[in-house]
Amino acid sequence: MAELILDHLCKMYDSEKKKGDKAEIAVNDLNLKCKDGEFIGILGPSGCGKTTTLRMIAGLEEITSGGIFIGERKINNVEPKDRNVGLAFEDYALYPPLTVYDNIAFNMRARKINDVDIKREISRIAPLMKIEKLLQKRPAELSGGQKQRVNIARAIIRKPKLLLLDEPLSHLDGKMRQVLRTEIKRLHNEIKCTTIIVTHDQLEAMSLADRIAIMNNGKLQQFGTPLEIYESPQNEFVAGFIGEPPMNLNRVTVIKLGDSLQFAFEDSQVRIAVPAKYNDVLKNGMVVKMGIRPTDFIINNPNGKGGTEVKVAVFENLGEEKRISIRIGEEYLTIVTADEKRYHPGDMIKIEVKDDRAHIFDISTGERLSLKN
Amino acid sequence: MAHIEICNVKKKFKKTIAIDDISLDIKDNEFFVLFGPAGAGKTTTLNIIAGIAFPDQGYVKIDGKIVNLLEPAKRNVSMVFENYALYPHLTVYDNIASPMRSPTFKKDEAYIKQEIERVTAILGISKLLDRLPKQLSNGQKQRVALGRCLVRKPNVFLMDEPLAHLDAKLRHFMRAELKEMQSNFNTTTIYVTHDYMEALSLGDRIGILNNGKIEQIGVGDDIFYRPANEFIAKMMGEPEINILEIELVQEAAKFGLRIFNMDKVFELPRDVEAAFRRKVPNDVDMGIRANDIEISISKKSDEYIHGTVYSIEPIGNKSVLIIAVNDIQIRTIVPNDFSAELDSDIYMKINYKNAIYFDRNTKAFIFRHENEDLSEKVI
Repeated sequence: MAELILDHLCKMYDSEKKKGDKAEIAVNDLNLKCKDGEFIGILGPSGCGKTTTLRMIAGLEEITSGGIFIGERKINNVEPKDRNVGLAFEDYALYPPLTVYDNIAFNMRARKINDVDIKREISRIAPLMKIEKLLQKRPAELSGGQKQRVNIARAIIRKPKLLLLDEPLSHLDGKMRQVLRTEIKRLHNEIKCTTIIVTHDQLEAMSLADRIAIMNNGKLQQFGTPLEIYESPQNEFVAGFIGEPPMNLNRVTVIKLGDSLQFAFEDSQVRIAVPAKYNDVLKNGMVVKMGIRPTDFIINNPNGKGGTEVKVAVFENLGEEKRISIRIGEEYLTIVTADEKRYHPGDMIKIEVKDDRAHIFDISTGERLSLKN
Repeated sequence: MAHIEICNVKKKFKKTIAIDDISLDIKDNEFFVLFGPAGAGKTTTLNIIAGIAFPDQGYVKIDGKIVNLLEPAKRNVSMVFENYALYPHLTVYDNIASPMRSPTFKKDEAYIKQEIERVTAILGISKLLDRLPKQLSNGQKQRVALGRCLVRKPNVFLMDEPLAHLDAKLRHFMRAELKEMQSNFNTTTIYVTHDYMEALSLGDRIGILNNGKIEQIGVGDDIFYRPANEFIAKMMGEPEINILEIELVQEAAKFGLRIFNMDKVFELPRDVEAAFRRKVPNDVDMGIRANDIEISISKKSDEYIHGTVYSIEPIGNKSVLIIAVNDIQIRTIVPNDFSAELDSDIYMKINYKNAIYFDRNTKAFIFRHENEDLSEKVI
């Protein structure tokens, strides 16, 4: 168990080391502090630097500058095998001729641990990963989910200080992914080992991690709990990356209509009242990115103070959830409701934003515009 | 426009039965979705309609005529592929014109112009005719690809997972695009997917395939609220529906239910109780969706069942709370700010009104409470 600190961590690939060319930096000045026993998710689209970061922590990738500390100890120059890190990758890399038992025992035997201790350790780990009945089978006889369980068992058998998981669920089908996701979360609670999972799947990061580090273009975008990241995204990238269906993000002009401010969409007559909390931040004529989650609308509120009348372009009944799409120029504004009412294309509905839950972002930097206190 | 019938079609590949005696009646102008897991026989069915694969047995009829021996080109069906395959060096105009310039369907340029005007007006892409594919948004590309199929005035549109390669976010928008256009097609459409949201959203009716057999045909509400069996129920919705063993007990000549071996007998909705009385089933499973379970941290009444917190998984504006009762895990939904220690005590109340009952042995649908307010709103 240990605290993990990434201190101004940078990675540039040799062939691309050109001065001032920012785009070729794989990891750019990354600072992260993971508490002892914490479950951290590193989340981002492909090419964002998340796997490079993980590989630097594991010692599989050289560090260009900055430091990595486990506890008090700087590990930049420590050999991978001496870092005491457990690794489980997306592809399971089990030895096909060996049984599950021998696969798990392999590294321990390499370290000359005696058979009695190996046996004791495997019987401790097997029930945790629910693989007791698989120990005598060979990899070819296992399902994808079972292989990943064995893979993780092999990673945690040596009681590592740090467990690193690289997209462990992305090869699995929907149902198995859900089951194993829950199991990994339970396992973490059981062994309380500082764990880092790298994933491109926002649902996976949200559901597993205590805190999530979102990366894009080698840079950290936000580091926070799933709730913080969902409720107060620090910039437009995070806002659009987290949540399904995604947050409505529209370029709007603030206009003054009588006493109140309105967001006016481009290529559309649709206006949405500016939440009162932004009255001091926004001025007539300002252009901003407005962000509203599809679940943050109220439709035809009987107690509402008007709202905005819009025309339903598409109505989708997805079982419990219904989705309404409104045409805004070439794009859609999406509204999600659990209400039983069914609508039809062409229906006029009145929408308002629930509890002033609209986000605003700077039109050029994409940074969240916060309230003046 | 075409009425398509598939009558007792069977198809084997070597020793594997791909399609096992399927019959379908797809109405003129209908948007029909074939839904099922991988290997269910969806694509084979589509290929048989297109004329790319031949049935070992049975008939395919288009507008009452058997077309088994008609070659694909003469069936007037149009297949939309997964990646839309636009010619990158051709403008939107020339991409849409391409099938009309092919040797088989060769038309004069005046006719081509008229057709392109007609079709692009339907799809709302009249202003994009001079653009190249790389200058189009994904939604616009999809419309151009559909336009290229529409100019041939096909009798039937066949679509094989056209959205499957997109990420979840894009898929949501492209599905809405497709749905907004679909009323303008005036063409019978058969759409293959393994995504339940696409099936529910797009299908006028849905046919569910599994192991080469049709398991159920119906509108979205039928499939979602009255699934023919447990297999279908489990495929519809996220998180997956909970299937729990229950015991029917007769008390004072009335049926009630017991669950998790508890002493308490829960009352059933009147119509459900009556249905069980009409035909007493042997072993019963209850399907209950996550949203139909209410959570409390205290035992508010004896309706509440005790369990422990197995896991809490935030998924945005809500969290999936998995509760363990004995060794059974139950998926429920809580607000995203809900927090609790793992393995701590938790109580849940099941809304039995929305439960779906199945025969535990055959897994077949028995009954669901007729929800008045629901049936009123069913279109």
